[in-house]
Amino acid sequence: MREEDTFEDLTSLFAAEDRALEAKPFVDEVMGKVRRRTLARKAFLLAVGGAGAVVAALQVPSLLGDWITVDNTVVSAISSAQQQAGLLASTNPLWLGIAAIVGLSLAAVATMERT
Amino acid sequence: MRTDPDLAADAARGNEAAFAELVRRHQARVRGMARRLTGSASAGDDIAQATFLTAWQKIATYAGGTFSAWICAICWREFLQVRRKTRPEIEFDETAEIIPFQRPSDQQDDRMDLSRALEKLTEAQRVCVVMCVAAGLSHREAAEATGWPLGTVKSHVTRGVEALRKHLAKPEVA
Repeated sequence: MREEDTFEDLTSLFAAEDRALEAKPFVDEVMGKVRRRTLARKAFLLAVGGAGAVVAALQVPSLLGDWITVDNTVVSAISSAQQQAGLLASTNPLWLGIAAIVGLSLAAVATMERT
Repeated sequence: MRTDPDLAADAARGNEAAFAELVRRHQARVRGMARRLTGSASAGDDIAQATFLTAWQKIATYAGGTFSAWICAICWREFLQVRRKTRPEIEFDETAEIIPFQRPSDQQDDRMDLSRALEKLTEAQRVCVVMCVAAGLSHREAAEATGWPLGTVKSHVTRGVEALRKHLAKPEVA
């Protein structure tokens, strides 16, 4: 038995009072405020997100410029590495074999780690 | 009929209709509690509204258990916040208590008796009686909501109920 059952008479008096309260206007008012808050939050998020998108869009040309610079650097590094590898292979082919074994070992370790 | 935890889970996913059903189910308990704590219908309803708005914001933190205990704990915290800010106004707002709320006259008399009897309790007794007797929380739930020791809550309820019965039995002297 719950402890509060000993004052059932008083509980029913309070409950009768509470039942007399009209629910609909209160529920409508609360839900109206809930909807307004939700809308305000969405509007705020949209505004902040939109402002962020505009700022990001303004940075795109500069970002593209930076990317092209990086791209050129990478391309030149790769072509330089190819030239050096060709040079190395023509002087001593053993280096190519060593590089291949090291590469295969690294690939095997990486594969084993993933599984 | 869907259970409170089911509705709360839907509300946490942003379902306003589910939350509206929770408000409909628990509004009487929360409004009754807030009105009795403040001694004022208007201040009580303001606190009840704030309670449900906070509940909507924090519905994702509801972790099962009795929903009424969870919402009443929020109501208690809202009451404490308001009391810290506007205590003099709540004390002054005595007229709101006697505004009729479209109740039949016999119930109105009961309400006045109950209100007057509640006012005669100490604040701690009133809080415990409102939570455990009127709002239907268990002693443990009331202790968790208020942060008071369980034994203290039980003691306040016992003494408060005793005093309430005594005041209700006595004819009102104007």
